[in-house]
Amino acid sequence: MKTQTLLGTVRVAWRNLWRNGRRSLVTIAAMTLALLAMVIYASLMRGLLGDMERKLLEVEVGDVQIHAPGYLDEPTLYDDLGESERLVGDLADLGFPATARFLGGGLAAAGDASAGVQIVGLDPEADRVASGLAGELAEGEWLSASEPSGVVIGSRLARTFGVEVGSELVILGQSVDGGIANDLYVVAGVLGSFSEAVDRSGVFVVEEAFRSFFGYEGGAHRIIVRRAPGGSTEDALAAALGLAPDEDVQSWRQLQPTAASMLDAAVAGLQVMMTIVYVAIAILILNAMLMAVFERIKELGLLKALGMSPRHVLSLILLEAGLQTGIAIVAGLTLAAPALWYLSEHGLQMAGLSGLTLMGMSFDSRWYSQVDAFSIGAPVSMLVIIVSLAVLYPGLKAARLRPIDAMRHQ
Amino acid sequence: MSQPIVQLDGVTKVYRQGSIDVHALRGVDLEIAKGEFTAICGPSGSGKTTTLNLIGALDSPTSGTVRLENEDLGALSRKELSEIRRDRIGFVFQAYNLVPVLTAYENAEMVLWVQGAPPEDRQRKVMELLEDVGLSGLEDRKPSELSGGQQQRVAIARAIASDPAVVLADEPTANVDSETADTLLDLMERLNKNRGVTFVFSTHDPKVMDRARRIVRMVDGSISDDTVKDAVT
Repeated sequence: MKTQTLLGTVRVAWRNLWRNGRRSLVTIAAMTLALLAMVIYASLMRGLLGDMERKLLEVEVGDVQIHAPGYLDEPTLYDDLGESERLVGDLADLGFPATARFLGGGLAAAGDASAGVQIVGLDPEADRVASGLAGELAEGEWLSASEPSGVVIGSRLARTFGVEVGSELVILGQSVDGGIANDLYVVAGVLGSFSEAVDRSGVFVVEEAFRSFFGYEGGAHRIIVRRAPGGSTEDALAAALGLAPDEDVQSWRQLQPTAASMLDAAVAGLQVMMTIVYVAIAILILNAMLMAVFERIKELGLLKALGMSPRHVLSLILLEAGLQTGIAIVAGLTLAAPALWYLSEHGLQMAGLSGLTLMGMSFDSRWYSQVDAFSIGAPVSMLVIIVSLAVLYPGLKAARLRPIDAMRHQ
Repeated sequence: MSQPIVQLDGVTKVYRQGSIDVHALRGVDLEIAKGEFTAICGPSGSGKTTTLNLIGALDSPTSGTVRLENEDLGALSRKELSEIRRDRIGFVFQAYNLVPVLTAYENAEMVLWVQGAPPEDRQRKVMELLEDVGLSGLEDRKPSELSGGQQQRVAIARAIASDPAVVLADEPTANVDSETADTLLDLMERLNKNRGVTFVFSTHDPKVMDRARRIVRMVDGSISDDTVKDAVT
């Protein structure tokens, strides 16, 4: 279509919109409200899912984990990665942040309370490179190599023991030589809620304290690898497999299949929700555009008699729907902007969700929205697709009219 | 007669109404040359509008051929027929048939923007035409703000804007009063003489028949008489 023809068609389409201004406004308002609701809903869901995924990857699991073969089936102090320090260095050289974790079990007690715990040894400074654990502190301070008696514990564990920062904690275990290991520690920090496993039983100590407690001299039991900045989990997995072909290398999706499925299902659920809302809108558009076509059958016949091609008539009807959709997108996003700003800055107070876990992932007490390409792009593009589909039938009907029949229409 | 721009050879048209075949045209042969001012007349159901629709590429014959500037319309696709209507045929309808959301100016230039003509060409041509049909100063009025006669003038301007080979006018004076009908006929006659626009009317208005230089009479789907007045006088 020539530019001049297109401009003329846009002008006619625009005028046609306001023939029945009330109907057009109702249609635009319905699209605007649906888009507004979907953008806010999508960004809240992205915030929730993004936060859960971030905590899972950034704080707990990482993108990829490396273990000694068989360790995950039967965790034991004796199945270690040997030259774990070299492996962490090699991964870092390739641009993949990595951190080593030393893992052991024990029994912790404070006052009259006791509970089984997982003791995790790490290098407090090096760990920050590949893990967001230090940033999840709810109270107190992060571990320090200069304070080997300090521990950071999970939030529910702290509640179970009734301890706070500065309280003492006794840990009992079995050292590598089979003897009894025990020591007294001071709670340096309490983590916020992000994972059921860490909340209930996580006790983090510096590597030196771990080695001292268990009398352990071997390598790390787990290496957590993150994707390179801007890269993907698949890249990190390939790099880890290349550097440690004889070890057990798995992505977070393999390690946490239930959580991965849940996140995927939540995204699919979001899309289903959008589809349902938009199908309702599609029916409204279909009705409005069919009415617009039937009211103007005679006139559409005239346009065809005067030489408008079927494609041109189809373009006219699509443009009319397109203009309404365009107005709805501008209005919907304009109205959504302040709500999205508020929700991403202040979030929703969800005290009831605090501490609640789903598939091992914890909810925060505040629910923030996340504005990204998906949360805006998906509702907008789905609206455009649905409207295009809805208007296709009336558009094709108009395009296929025989001018002579249409002009006789009463 | 000079080289005809419209040629109908053995054209029949049969409509199916329920289980009955209605023979609207029964073997019509007709030639119309450039510059003619021809009226096809006859009683209702005689086939005059059907003839106009076939010449205008709005309908296709059951048998026979319709040629416009020597091009067989039956051999063309729907898209090509659209282009023929856009570029080579002008229509004037009984009920004016203007687009209500467009102004007089925009209605008159409609075929030109469908063709994709540059804005400056459109403006020059449409302003000249509107002046020619006596609508200067009324360019910005919508059809609802114009009288019946004024609306039909806009329709005439629209019909000739693209310099078509032929203008087909279906009962153009049927919806206007006698005085307005005279004015419209004056206008079309002038356009025919001054610009060489070929007009073919379907009518049973004696005023039109009086002005036409050729009268084709139809009865029951056939041409019963074909008179060229100039040749008679």
